[in-house]
Amino acid sequence: MSKHAEVDIALGILDHQLVDSNGINCGKVDDLELTGLDTDSPEVVEILVGGNAWRTRGLLWRLAARLAGDAVHVPWSEVESVSSVVKLKRPASELRLDRGDPRWSRLVGKVPGS
Amino acid sequence: MSVKNVLAVALGILSAIGGFVDIGDLVFNTQAGATFGYQLLWVVVVGVVGIIVYSEMCGRVAAVAKRPVFDLVRERVGFGAGLGTLIASQIVNLMTCAAEVGGVAICLQLLAGLPYRALIPLAVVALVLSAWVLPFEWIERVFGYLGLGLLVFAVAAIKLHPDWGRVAHGFVPGHHVGGSLLVYLYFVVGLLGAAMTPYEVYFYSSGAVEDGWGLKELGLNKVTSMIGYGLGGFLSFSLMIVAGVLFLPQKIDPQFLGTPPLAAADTLGQVGLLLALVGILFAVGGAAIETSFSGAYNTAQFFGWRWGKKERPAAASRFTLTWVVIFALALLVVMTGYDPVKLTEYSVIFSVVALPLTYLPILLVANDRTYMGSNVNGRLANVLGVLYFIVIIAIAVAAIPLLIVTNGGQG
Repeated sequence: MSKHAEVDIALGILDHQLVDSNGINCGKVDDLELTGLDTDSPEVVEILVGGNAWRTRGLLWRLAARLAGDAVHVPWSEVESVSSVVKLKRPASELRLDRGDPRWSRLVGKVPGS
Repeated sequence: MSVKNVLAVALGILSAIGGFVDIGDLVFNTQAGATFGYQLLWVVVVGVVGIIVYSEMCGRVAAVAKRPVFDLVRERVGFGAGLGTLIASQIVNLMTCAAEVGGVAICLQLLAGLPYRALIPLAVVALVLSAWVLPFEWIERVFGYLGLGLLVFAVAAIKLHPDWGRVAHGFVPGHHVGGSLLVYLYFVVGLLGAAMTPYEVYFYSSGAVEDGWGLKELGLNKVTSMIGYGLGGFLSFSLMIVAGVLFLPQKIDPQFLGTPPLAAADTLGQVGLLLALVGILFAVGGAAIETSFSGAYNTAQFFGWRWGKKERPAAASRFTLTWVVIFALALLVVMTGYDPVKLTEYSVIFSVVALPLTYLPILLVANDRTYMGSNVNGRLANVLGVLYFIVIIAIAVAAIPLLIVTNGGQG
């Protein structure tokens, strides 16, 4: 995406919906990895999703993050566009963002009509 | 607009009317009528305008920005406060769902004469099956249309020949007669809470996203929210008027859900009774499904999962499991034998506490041009939106103290 687009990181990206290239929801922008904070042009390098991306969100979540395992790191270069959602360039499965629903779909899939 | 479109809008309005009243409205409107006669009718007007203002706003956000309410909650108030809102709203959704399930079981008991305890699991199974099998539109329609049986209360209210002068007087707030001020205020909070329950905006906005609303639907959104909820408010008036005519003079305290249908029986005989019971059964049953779905919508939207009734259940497996689990927990709560009417009172009062953090993000985003472009709030929506937000904060602060001090409106 254009590096000149003006987006308020806290309001316009953090905590927003991630949508993959097929239009499927695949998590939230739980945290952002920034570089160059001590320079004039800080840059977002990665989006952190789930797991220990919650570690900065308070005591309880540090514990939850420990149990939840590693966050998924999505390089900023995978971002297609930022609107009211953060749209990604590839399908969730290629970015390891499809771990939640398949885990339970075997159980739900046993019911007729699912 | 073509005939087909007019028909679609009319059907949408009908299901909104039938879907407006749930167990919270039934309980609070009849109790308010039995305690204060018509004196609290003005509160229903205030509540109905409030739900119209905020559902129009969240419907517009859903149509323009395609974002449902809990996306907004997390984006605007952040992770911590958003999580707090999620937990509070889930507790309220569960309590409300349990109360509605209890209501369904009571109606079945009155219709079939079978033991209440045995009917609770039956009610839950029937509701889960309907929610599983029926497509989204049909859930709204079936429960909405059959909920229109509640219109017998409007007929009953007219046939009871209330003193219309005093009814008209009830639409103007003023000094109340009878009962203590605190109990009066408790009912003000309860009636507002029942009319503006948060799950209504969760369900309405998520439903709009599910239906794929776009700019074309902005008109439909205005009409459905205004006329649908507006006419739904008439059912609330009817319940309060009927209770005011029949229960207040006799000092009947409608602490049982079977009491309001007796009012319909009193004026319209067996047919009235039957229509009232069927109306309550489906209005309350529809609300049970809406609350369980709201719980699943909120959780999925907070964590960014795939969600929606239109998704294959196995594809959106976490969403599906969440609403099924809410029904299962509601079953457990009702099976404890706790009185559904009491449960309703608590769920409405607690829902008031969750209102501010639900409504604030809607108000903020509806004013944000980056989401809404030229469809941001107009002056009217903002004046009313801010005014109601102040009202909501006031009642959120007063709700629990009033519940405790008045012993749940008992005085």
